Amino acid sequence: MSPAALLRRVAPVLACIGLLAVWQVASLALKNDSFPTATEAIRAIPDILGDKESLINILASLRRMALGFGVAVLISIPLGLLMGRSRGVAAFFNPLLMVIYPVPKAALMPIIMLWLGVGDVTKTLVIFLGVSLPVIYHSFEGAKAVEEKMLWSGAAMGLSPAQRLVRIVLPAALPEILTGCRTGLVLALITMITSEMIARQSGAGNILFNALDMGQYDTVFAMIIIVGAMGISLDAIFERVRARLVRWSEPQFDMPLSFS
Amino acid sequence: MTVVPARSSKWVRPVTSQEPASAIIEIDRVSQVFQTSARKDHVALSDISLTIEEGAFVSILGPSGCGKSTLLYIVGGFVSPTSGSAKIKGHAITGPGPDRGPVFQEFALFPWKTVLGNVIYGPRQQGVRAAEAEAQSRALIKMVGLKGYENFYPKELSGGMKQRVALARTLAYHPEVLLMDEPFGALDAHTRTRLQNDLLNIWERDRKTVLFVTHSVDEAVFLSDKVVMMSKSPGRIREVIDIDLPRPRRRSELLLDPRYQKYVVDIERMFDESDEAGPAS
Ligand SMILES: Nc1ncnc2c1ncn2[C@@H]1O[C@H](COP(=O)(O)OP(=O)(O)OP(=O)(O)O)[C@@H](O)[C@H]1O
Ligand SMILES: [Mg+2]
Repeated sequence: MSPAALLRRVAPVLACIGLLAVWQVASLALKNDSFPTATEAIRAIPDILGDKESLINILASLRRMALGFGVAVLISIPLGLLMGRSRGVAAFFNPLLMVIYPVPKAALMPIIMLWLGVGDVTKTLVIFLGVSLPVIYHSFEGAKAVEEKMLWSGAAMGLSPAQRLVRIVLPAALPEILTGCRTGLVLALITMITSEMIARQSGAGNILFNALDMGQYDTVFAMIIIVGAMGISLDAIFERVRARLVRWSEPQFDMPLSFS
Repeated sequence: MTVVPARSSKWVRPVTSQEPASAIIEIDRVSQVFQTSARKDHVALSDISLTIEEGAFVSILGPSGCGKSTLLYIVGGFVSPTSGSAKIKGHAITGPGPDRGPVFQEFALFPWKTVLGNVIYGPRQQGVRAAEAEAQSRALIKMVGLKGYENFYPKELSGGMKQRVALARTLAYHPEVLLMDEPFGALDAHTRTRLQNDLLNIWERDRKTVLFVTHSVDEAVFLSDKVVMMSKSPGRIREVIDIDLPRPRRRSELLLDPRYQKYVVDIERMFDESDEAGPAS
């Protein structure tokens, strides 16, 4: 491996170490109870991951996140594609989405809690709402940008409008759709934690805020690291899959923005 | 639209085998008006009438922006004309169909499919069995000179190579009428000559009807039975010239043929005259 390639490989690790070092120094300098050192926080991680209760909580979070994300993607992609290809569908859904778009999804939680309780359904629904919009938006943009002549070519080969949507618009818009899904995935994690902050009953967010209440600051920071690592890993895995699916569209010398 | 009486009477007659050629495409007083962004009407095509005989090779020649592509799209059924009508085999064209195969100026390949994937797409859609479709597609890819590139993606091809894939992709599903929009425009002179010859060979073998848009007078005369000359603003048919040259045509012989030279020179003169007249307002 050339020195340049080696440097590219270790760069992310170096960045992490650098961040932790800055944290360590800052914490030692400030000597504040509510700001533990990096080593203290890291030492608390095995305690959390070794605790059965905590693991169940974290897994429950992940399950809600997977469900909210999955259902959102399954509904949003077809909807976005239809909106991008049909003026009628777009005219109907556009105003609706424009109203929902600027509202922080967590702000809807009190109302949803009132109707559906503080359980899984409410939290999953909030995650669903958080993921939907970027996926719809990117699917819409992707479908809109599909080259007309490509659809004409398909039509000349005998593809029906529905077939064209599935077999031409969908693959042609896939790079854009997956960009939306990637944003959606990170938003799923964010709304997941937020929802658990508001409806504190279970989940990773709940562990974090309970620890905060009890003044266990090393646990608080350990949880932040765990959630952050979850986000980074999910994103890196997704990016791998994405890159594989749209290899045909990537420019030859691409600069990936990911942790992998 | 009312039907031209003089024409309609012709269609009452039953088509017999003695008749040398029957019309496959009839374009009847077609006009196309586009709304520009400035909310002004822009007449792209004005009152175009043209009949194309089955098996004929017809070229459309004209300056950029005179509506050649638009006319092709109307025959393809991709665009419906503002007024007038287009028919194929006596039926009004209401949409695209596998009887008319377009080769677009912009290639419009499927970027997520390999070269083979693009070429095999049409036959598979038409229900040809996988093994057979693949064999045919590979043969076509070889014919357009892309053997060895079967598994390349469009982004990995040059402009000329993409154009050849586009041609193979359309030939693959055996349309009766080929609608070709400057298919050789982006090719180097050598490949261009080769593909012109290949196209003529295919055409002489299958006698497909070809509607061929080009900028090149030379190419139009070499390939066609009929050259339709168009003028611009608004797009109109200026002149239809029958090219009475023997077939099969060989480029090397034709270039020396005074009749060929005369066609080329005459057509070029006609365009020069219209240039001198200046753009019509
Ligand atoms: N969708 C459209 N909206 C508005 N105007 C259009 C549209 N399509 C074509 N035009 C106009 O119609 C005219 C004819 O366009 P067309 O593409 O058919 O020309 P062309 O003869 O194929 O030109 P070229 O040789 O450059 O390809 C042009 O003036 C163009 O500006
Ligand atoms: Mg054109």
